[in-house]
Amino acid sequence: MVCLSMFVIPAVCCLAAPQAVSLKTIPAKVTLQYAGAQQQFVAIANYADGTTHDVTDTVEWRLSNPALAELIGSARIAAAADGDLTVTAVLAKGVEAHSAVQVKGSAQARPFSFTQEIGGILTKRGCNQAACHGGVKGRGGLKLSANALYPKDDYEWITKGGTYQVLTAEVKGERIPRIDLKNPEQSLLLTKPTMIKPHGGGKRLEKDSEDYKAILTWVKSGAPFGAEDSGKAPKLARLDVFPPLAAMAVDGQHHLLVTAVFTDGHTEDYTHQVLYSSNNADVATVTAEGVISGKRLGETAILVRGAGQVASAGAGVIGPPISNYPEVARGNFIDEAVFTKLKNFHIIPSELADDAAFLRRVCLDLTGTVPPPERVRQFIASKDARKREKVIDALIGSPEFVDYWTFRFSDIFRVAIFANGLTPKWSQKYWEWIRNNVETNRPYDEVARERISAEGYGPASRHFLPYNQVGAPNDVMAEEVRVFLGRRLDCAQCHNHPYENWSQDQFWGMAAFFSRVFKMGPVVFDHPSNMDLSSKDVNGSIQLLHPRTKAVVLPALLDGSPANLTPESNPRKELARWMTASPYFAEAAANRIWGQFFGRGIVDPVDDFRSTNPPTHPELLAALAADFREHDYDLRHLMKTIVMSRTYQLARSTNATNSDDVVNYSHALPRPLDAEVLLDAMVDSTGIQEIFSTAVADGSSVGQAPVGTRAINLKDPDMFFSRFLELYGRPNRGAIPERSIHPNLGQALHMLAGSTYADRLSAKDSRLARLLQSGASDAKIFEEFYLAAYGRFPAPDEIQDLEKTLAKRNDREAGLREFVWALTSSREFAENH
Amino acid sequence: MSAFCLMIVAVWVLGGPLAAFAAPKTAETPSEPKLTSAYPFTGQRGTTFTAIIRGTGLRGATTVFSKTAPFTTAIEGIETEPVEDVKPSAKPKAPIELVRVKIQIDAAAKAGRYPIRLITPAGISNAIPIAVIDHPVTDEPAPSHETPDTAVVISKLPAALNGRIAQRGETDYYAFHADAGETVTFEVFSGLPSTGAAGGNANGFDPSLSIYERSGSWFDPKRVNRIAFNDEPLWVLGKGTDAYLVQRFEKAGEYLVRVEAFSGQGGLDYGYHLKVATGEAPQERSSPGKNWAERKYERALSTDRLNDLAERGGKARDQAKIETYRTSVAPASSAPMFRLPGTLEGAITQPGEAQRSKFHLDGPQDIAIEIETPTSAPPLFNPIVRLLNAAGEEVATNVFAGRGLCTGELNKSLQAKVIVPLRDAGDYTVEVRETTADLASPEFRYRVLVRPQIAHLGDVKIEEDKVNVSPGDAKSVRVVFDREEDYRGAVAVTAESLPPGVQALAGADFEPDKDPPLHPGKRERYVPRNERLVVVFTASPDAALTAQPQLVRLVVRPIVDGKPGAIVSMKEIPLMVVAKP
Repeated sequence: MVCLSMFVIPAVCCLAAPQAVSLKTIPAKVTLQYAGAQQQFVAIANYADGTTHDVTDTVEWRLSNPALAELIGSARIAAAADGDLTVTAVLAKGVEAHSAVQVKGSAQARPFSFTQEIGGILTKRGCNQAACHGGVKGRGGLKLSANALYPKDDYEWITKGGTYQVLTAEVKGERIPRIDLKNPEQSLLLTKPTMIKPHGGGKRLEKDSEDYKAILTWVKSGAPFGAEDSGKAPKLARLDVFPPLAAMAVDGQHHLLVTAVFTDGHTEDYTHQVLYSSNNADVATVTAEGVISGKRLGETAILVRGAGQVASAGAGVIGPPISNYPEVARGNFIDEAVFTKLKNFHIIPSELADDAAFLRRVCLDLTGTVPPPERVRQFIASKDARKREKVIDALIGSPEFVDYWTFRFSDIFRVAIFANGLTPKWSQKYWEWIRNNVETNRPYDEVARERISAEGYGPASRHFLPYNQVGAPNDVMAEEVRVFLGRRLDCAQCHNHPYENWSQDQFWGMAAFFSRVFKMGPVVFDHPSNMDLSSKDVNGSIQLLHPRTKAVVLPALLDGSPANLTPESNPRKELARWMTASPYFAEAAANRIWGQFFGRGIVDPVDDFRSTNPPTHPELLAALAADFREHDYDLRHLMKTIVMSRTYQLARSTNATNSDDVVNYSHALPRPLDAEVLLDAMVDSTGIQEIFSTAVADGSSVGQAPVGTRAINLKDPDMFFSRFLELYGRPNRGAIPERSIHPNLGQALHMLAGSTYADRLSAKDSRLARLLQSGASDAKIFEEFYLAAYGRFPAPDEIQDLEKTLAKRNDREAGLREFVWALTSSREFAENH
Repeated sequence: MSAFCLMIVAVWVLGGPLAAFAAPKTAETPSEPKLTSAYPFTGQRGTTFTAIIRGTGLRGATTVFSKTAPFTTAIEGIETEPVEDVKPSAKPKAPIELVRVKIQIDAAAKAGRYPIRLITPAGISNAIPIAVIDHPVTDEPAPSHETPDTAVVISKLPAALNGRIAQRGETDYYAFHADAGETVTFEVFSGLPSTGAAGGNANGFDPSLSIYERSGSWFDPKRVNRIAFNDEPLWVLGKGTDAYLVQRFEKAGEYLVRVEAFSGQGGLDYGYHLKVATGEAPQERSSPGKNWAERKYERALSTDRLNDLAERGGKARDQAKIETYRTSVAPASSAPMFRLPGTLEGAITQPGEAQRSKFHLDGPQDIAIEIETPTSAPPLFNPIVRLLNAAGEEVATNVFAGRGLCTGELNKSLQAKVIVPLRDAGDYTVEVRETTADLASPEFRYRVLVRPQIAHLGDVKIEEDKVNVSPGDAKSVRVVFDREEDYRGAVAVTAESLPPGVQALAGADFEPDKDPPLHPGKRERYVPRNERLVVVFTASPDAALTAQPQLVRLVVRPIVDGKPGAIVSMKEIPLMVVAKP
């Protein structure tokens, strides 16, 4: 559930200033420790119209005891002496709020920490961004870890110098320290960013800045690593950002408050020690002080980087308040989350989709099949108040549901001959395994565990055998993590991930779970780690070596938790247990399924979870994941929950408040049908089957799928050649498919002259031919095809236009063929909406 | 990767799995008769039916030849199969002949498969099987029954049906009734070779079975829905690719069984025989045959095996009987003892389990370890057998490790036999475990024979199954054999029952050198020394042509100390002297 208090709107956005009824300051209570400790405050006002606004810059800030702290800006204080005081914000007479502040240890200097002090400066100044020294090999001879994620490494590079190499831990070139202990002011770490010496990155520091002084002081003091050297000093655990989601009007502003949480539980204000950036500066920008400015309607993420940590906050730029916001019915927790956010963003969701639109949409989403005309008629005519739920249940229980989700998971799990051991029988057995899982609604965590840890000759183990070789541990691990945890670790295999907190060591530690996978004949197993791979007969090793350090890598879980492994056990079982118990697992699955029904994930792309790509609805994602877990990872339950929501059932048509919305689910978005679904829809609408044949060069000896086989039911689609499917983006499953949804010229030409269209229009036993033979009227034919292709009745004006057009043709049959072509080549047909 | 390696990969990619979709190959210029299929190939004893035998080089066929068949045959006619549209660029192919053969089965015939051949002016053909069964057989009707609506109705069980997947993508439906709670067994036999060999069915027809119910769907009330499916895995030792399915029906009603070829193959050679019977019937499997199988998991390691081996080594059958012992999950220190020769029995019923037994050796001895898997064989059950010395060091294993020729990548394979010279006296532990850490089953039974080595002749292969030779010409037949456990004796091959004018001579032919394995590992422990000799059949210029084949017996014996041993292999090959083409 999205908390209302998270949404704050600057007062400047109000059309007519309503009366403020209450005020609060954040943080309400805080402790300032050590000399010079500072704290930023934010003030939030509640108004009579129910809105809340950021009034940080509007209120008057007062200190109860100025001897203990001083105001160093309108809403920021610095500790001066030990004691308790109150910070008060006054908005208007009688509208004020207070924060309790304790100052302690104000005479004591903060223990130096390289990570926090120097790492923080390098991060805030952008020195260690991926595009600069935080890149894979650094820049200009200086390598820094991205966002100071690895301060020990940074310390080495800065104090000793040298050039980083990707494939070896050896330092390249002469080692020139970036600091000069004898002449601290001559340290490259100071002369470069101040442009005293040429610097490709431009000027990053002013000579009189606090950060310059801090670095100089550090060098002068002998450049220590600091308290963390002891291993006992608390470390920065995370950054918390307030508010997690800020709403503002165009040209409105909002302050962010960043709090660093340390491993010992204490917190510090980091608002002015981090680097801010906007994921979409067209929507909102952010200043170095953490003040967001709305630019145009929309939503984006503000990224916050500091001292090895990355966090984010959402920023919504919203329209004017709506005085008579309508009550919107809510079906389940999905609607609660989506509609609450919409209301706070001043967006009114569209109306419920009409029955015809709903039926076509839900049929395509649950079964990949367009509803037959008779079912459309029945559904529209039904007066049953529960007819939508009933049809959802019927679809989820239908064999077409099994067909479609077998197809979907065959895509994700990559059923393909070349990916499954080069043996069609193996890929088909793998397909059967997926189908059986779907048919029996096997809990998804069980499916995942079996796939990750499969041994022997079973079907799930076939996916470890691309080209009949055991897949490389790094490739296999990255794929399992992407499929089941929704994370892309790939970058970290060559170097620490430039944008995430994944290190190269973590990557290879995870990969090591697959390092013992071996193939003996067709049998996949994990070679015991306490036995030589080849005994005394042939040299060989099962040890996985770190590509850079060449050290032996042992299996290590991503979160550093211990793995319970024995030399003769299957280590992947432990990995599978950990992965499916991870909170990532349920949220990744829920997000993937959500993405299938809405065309975009709550995190999008659906398998690209990262701190720099935050979810649009984090609470909703958490709720979906929790519900999925609570229902034993039941995919059908998850899907029903989604399609039963009003959110899913909203109309495509928009209103004045939501026409620009593409991320908040305020209306249905049209989604192109996948190639296979589109082809099947063509078959269903025209009544002419597609023939799928395998082929070899001379066309002599091939197989053919049984007549009536649907495109989504091809077990090993890479064996069946189809011009249509290639043109419309069928993937070869050589990697996890990312389907192209962009139209191309080939599609256009195929529509005009391709066999998929042309042959069907002239087929003798087509739907059209049968209607003509039955003596059906033009109106009957129009209606039948509209129902078959669009799942709706033609509108009166459409019928009039069709009749006029047809009347101009001398050849009725030819005219009707053109009508069918027009329908099946239209966007309305090719999209789910 | 070298060009050579690339070529190998290309052959594998294009010729391996994709060849699984190739139709049976036909000779482009048939110099000899070749049968590809018979349809139908199954009949009930005491009945008469007509089979169409399809092949090349069959023009002028006069007689059906079979040594053991319990039926009489008559050729009713021969015609050439019409040629379908041929692309101008296509290579010319030999015309296909269709020989109509009337088969009258004896009333007392024993059920089974019987090979038949055709005799033509060019000689005798290869053999294809005709099956005799006890029950009435129905041929599929002429109209297509490719859809549920046109399904052939099976009115009574048990039923036996002949059918054919005559075209690519064809599916044959049969409808039958099942009572609630009834169990029905379905089995489909392919008329083409169905060996389960690598590639699946490169030269055969791999049938599959599906059971459907008429339960409809929201979209289509007439939709039939699959409730069971069979397609067997590949490369399971002792199993072919014929389809077998046992289904218990919860509800009474009409159901459908669908027969099709794997991955939509089909053609006029794709005949099948479908059996549907109530109750659960065991799968019919071809018997392992009488041929010696030295290194197959399914061979029975009898208590008399030492005598069998001695006999194959040209020695007397005066060896001791072999005792049987049970293994234990106890650690090596407390594992039960057994004496050589001894057979260890057990089953891996718990994942990760290792079972052991120990023996003592008083001095150096060359031993052999043989492994039998009576109920489940690789790749389903993959027993690893290790021999550990008293210090717990592995001194032998049935895992053969080597490096691939192309990439040098280390590869391993499980072997059913390993020989090892043991030079130290002391206790040795035999440890048996399943290759995977997670799999176990009561079916994972093993028998491990540990015995002294006995030099002998191993497998003997004579691949040719017919000889057609013209006067003045010669045809060679290869005999390939293995020298097991350092068998150093000679090998004698004799050809008996030659027709007049035909001689069998010792010969030799050219065998190209093979690249040695990159890193062969301890190959000698796992791979026997393989040799071959050639028997050359010559027909004198004046040899009389034969109207009927003469069954020539090729007999293989070991020769030790100048004395021939017992027969270790014998094969009858039909031989004809035919006019030059």
